[in-house]
Amino acid sequence: MSEPYILGVSGLYHDSAAALISGAEIVAAAQEERFTRKKHDRRFPANAINYCLSEAFIEPSQLDIVAYYDNPALTLDRALRNFAAVAPRGREPFKAAMRSILDEKFRIEKSFEAALGEARPLWYVDHHLSHAASAFYPSPFEEAAILTVDGVGEHATLTIGHGKGRDIELLREIRYPHSLGLLYSAITQYCGFKVNSGEYKLMGLAPYGEPRFARAMLDHLIHVKDDGSFALDLSYFAFMDEAVMSGPKLHALFGAPPRTAESRIDLFHMDIAASVQQVTEIIMLKLAAEAARLTGSRNLTMAGGVALNCVANGKILRSGLVDGFWIQPAAGDAGGALGAALYAAHMGLELPRQVPANGRDAQRGSYLGPAYSSAQVRAFLDREGYAYTHIPDRAERSAAVAKALDAGKVVGLLSGRMEFGPRSLGARSILADPRGAQMQSKVNLKVKYRESFRPFAPAVLHDRVGDYFELEGESPYMLLVAPVREDIRQPFDMADFRKGVADMIPAVNKVRSTLPAITHVDYSARVQTVHPDDQPDFHAILAAFDALTGCPVLVNTSFNVRGEPIVNTPEDAYRCFMRTEIETLVLEDCILEKAEQPVSEDDDAWKQEFELD
Amino acid sequence: MSSLFQYDPDIGYRFVPHLKVRVATSDGGYLLRTNALGFRNDREFETRSSARRILVFGDSFTAGDNVSNGQRYSDHLDQALAPVEVHNFGLPGSGTDQHSIIWNKFAKGADAEVVVIAVLVENIRRIVSAYRPSVGDDGSTEFIAKPYFQLQGETLVRFNDPVPRERVTGETLEAEAKVDRGGRFPELRKLVKTLGLQGVVQQLTRYQPTPEYDDPRDPAWRLMRAILLSWRSQIPQPVVLMPIPLYQHVEQTADPAAYRARFSELAAEGAFILHDPLDDLLANDAQIRRGFRFKTDVHLTPAGHRAIADSLLRTLGPLLAGARSDP
Repeated sequence: MSEPYILGVSGLYHDSAAALISGAEIVAAAQEERFTRKKHDRRFPANAINYCLSEAFIEPSQLDIVAYYDNPALTLDRALRNFAAVAPRGREPFKAAMRSILDEKFRIEKSFEAALGEARPLWYVDHHLSHAASAFYPSPFEEAAILTVDGVGEHATLTIGHGKGRDIELLREIRYPHSLGLLYSAITQYCGFKVNSGEYKLMGLAPYGEPRFARAMLDHLIHVKDDGSFALDLSYFAFMDEAVMSGPKLHALFGAPPRTAESRIDLFHMDIAASVQQVTEIIMLKLAAEAARLTGSRNLTMAGGVALNCVANGKILRSGLVDGFWIQPAAGDAGGALGAALYAAHMGLELPRQVPANGRDAQRGSYLGPAYSSAQVRAFLDREGYAYTHIPDRAERSAAVAKALDAGKVVGLLSGRMEFGPRSLGARSILADPRGAQMQSKVNLKVKYRESFRPFAPAVLHDRVGDYFELEGESPYMLLVAPVREDIRQPFDMADFRKGVADMIPAVNKVRSTLPAITHVDYSARVQTVHPDDQPDFHAILAAFDALTGCPVLVNTSFNVRGEPIVNTPEDAYRCFMRTEIETLVLEDCILEKAEQPVSEDDDAWKQEFELD
Repeated sequence: MSSLFQYDPDIGYRFVPHLKVRVATSDGGYLLRTNALGFRNDREFETRSSARRILVFGDSFTAGDNVSNGQRYSDHLDQALAPVEVHNFGLPGSGTDQHSIIWNKFAKGADAEVVVIAVLVENIRRIVSAYRPSVGDDGSTEFIAKPYFQLQGETLVRFNDPVPRERVTGETLEAEAKVDRGGRFPELRKLVKTLGLQGVVQQLTRYQPTPEYDDPRDPAWRLMRAILLSWRSQIPQPVVLMPIPLYQHVEQTADPAAYRARFSELAAEGAFILHDPLDDLLANDAQIRRGFRFKTDVHLTPAGHRAIADSLLRTLGPLLAGARSDP
């Protein structure tokens, strides 16, 4: 008998996604936004579902179970309780929540039927169980503690659990409205960034600041116990009864109103960012310790949006609290799709779980999305009449790309299956030489059209990571921040920056190491180690760059512009290439040079296409 | 989704090779797989083969738009006639002129026992066209060039050879360019379809979709006849000619007599083995026949493909048995 197919789906809140497993093996996973080109798309993921069926090449009738990552009845219960607690205030958020729950979540069976063309058995998996399953089952551990932290699921905002073999048990939870994720989001919004997308910016901003508000946060906003449990003082927040997240009392505490989006970022906001980052790290370290204590495990797995806080993750790794540490690369709600499917397989159908024998995880590098063959790429380029050079030989192609990078060119790379999760890992990436002092500003301002302060991540050959970073072992998913090694650092005094009224450009352009473009102002870097088994093309480019320059490190940032979902198809990639100052584009085994392309008829109007995050 | 098709200088376009995708549709979707040549065939095709083979040529009704590989009439034949292999060379949106070029490019001289030429009845409009409309990436209508023949005296002369690669917009399309817009009265049909009154209007007006068959001297029929006779003359194997009726014929809102007469005459003239499936389809009651096409799409449903296969088997079965018993 063939293995059962299980489709997992998340969505109707933010970051809709679908994932497909066969037995316990992950076949495919993708976020809806990559197909619809609407960032964080919350709509039912019909396109992602279609892709999953496409990847497995199966009919909907072959799906044994469809698993949804949320329990709508419990979500309804939470919304009703929330309204009861704040009524008569909070009518508008309540009405919006009811519309989503009653019109969409309670009718999700109909959406499945429309996407599949037929009804299939539907299971509901609780939100945090989905996260927990996404963290534990693909991990390389036979048993591990599980920590899930996000904004809110049905009731839970945080859980600690234990996974062993195919079993998962949740041992402890913190319930809404007490939420570390919502605290971080509230401060994100206070600093003028968008909730559920701007949290990364806040984290990137933090190293520029000093955590001078951390004490106030711990004294007033969130009361933290030694075991990591916490309670928010709700009088400082507005998320229970308003569309905004922070309240007047919080603004008074910090002595300033919320920052308006796109206005100047000054030292105050940097200090707020540094403070909430420090508070988060304090809590996450306590939670990691508590998870170890509760489970007796030296392995820790994590998921939930807060698990994308790679600075906190790096601190947990270096804390000595854990021996083994694995974070679901799609830690946010998208990963809930995968978790729901895996939970249905192991806990529902009781399918056995096998940890990969090679010591690596079962996520397959998170390259779980669509690929486009060389024939498809060439069909597109030929149809449109775009100039390209076809270089089927990988070594020859990689050498050509390395040469372009060494010449200071910014390169767009589309290679193999798209990544599942918010990070580009060499399948849909923009690459650049990290050795240039101006490269961070250049890529931020002229390629990504985003804020100049945002740091770039390094991708490094997996066996050379120790030459540049204080990191032992692998970090294939760019989820760990590690210090750059002292011997490659160059003196840089943040006091000058603070005296200079926080003009970020000089600070960003200041050489802080021999790899300035990937060294953040606190000498940290969000590292990706690249293994040839995971992404052979990307590994070959790094190796070729190393052979040419002696540097096995490249800037690796997501292939998109600000507000745009990461590119998916060759068409998306070409469009992004032509709209930005990316100079060379690699589409599978074809290389395109900007100078050889027909003149683009796009004007700047396209920038309105993507809502700024 | 990235396009399913690639440019072909001889045919105009064909599927990208080695595709393995699910195409989403308003009815859900269907699985589409192509072989190395770029046809919806689960098998690879080599010119030389020791297997007994049937080669099938046609348009989207043969390629199987909206229906998964495995559920098309060629797939049913493949299963029913095993170990005989049935190779599908169908190409959506194409005409009989392009089918003859496909045969010439990929299957001429190939080992096979039977060739099936499936002619959707409305192909008669496609063969006189130099362009086919298509929806561009931005949703606008653009026109794709195709190869086509013209009869000069009794000689077939090929045009658009090679086929221009560039797509043409409505504004730049020459006024006199021949475009297949899918039938007569395109604007009126569009309006009626939008209003959901297509069936009613067709019945009330006794709409005859393909008047080109009414008169054997009609230029379009003369061209169709010439293309098929020329093609037939180059095929050494037995050739089954199968006119695929339009849904109006299957649902008896249009009179099939004219096209049936033309293909019947042609079969006698050109040594085709005529297989006309209409009578077999009409043997089903009206509700079943309505189920041979999709609710919002005229293509054959899996049930429609099954019915065509069952019908065609009546001709192919004895033909293959006869071929085997030949010394």
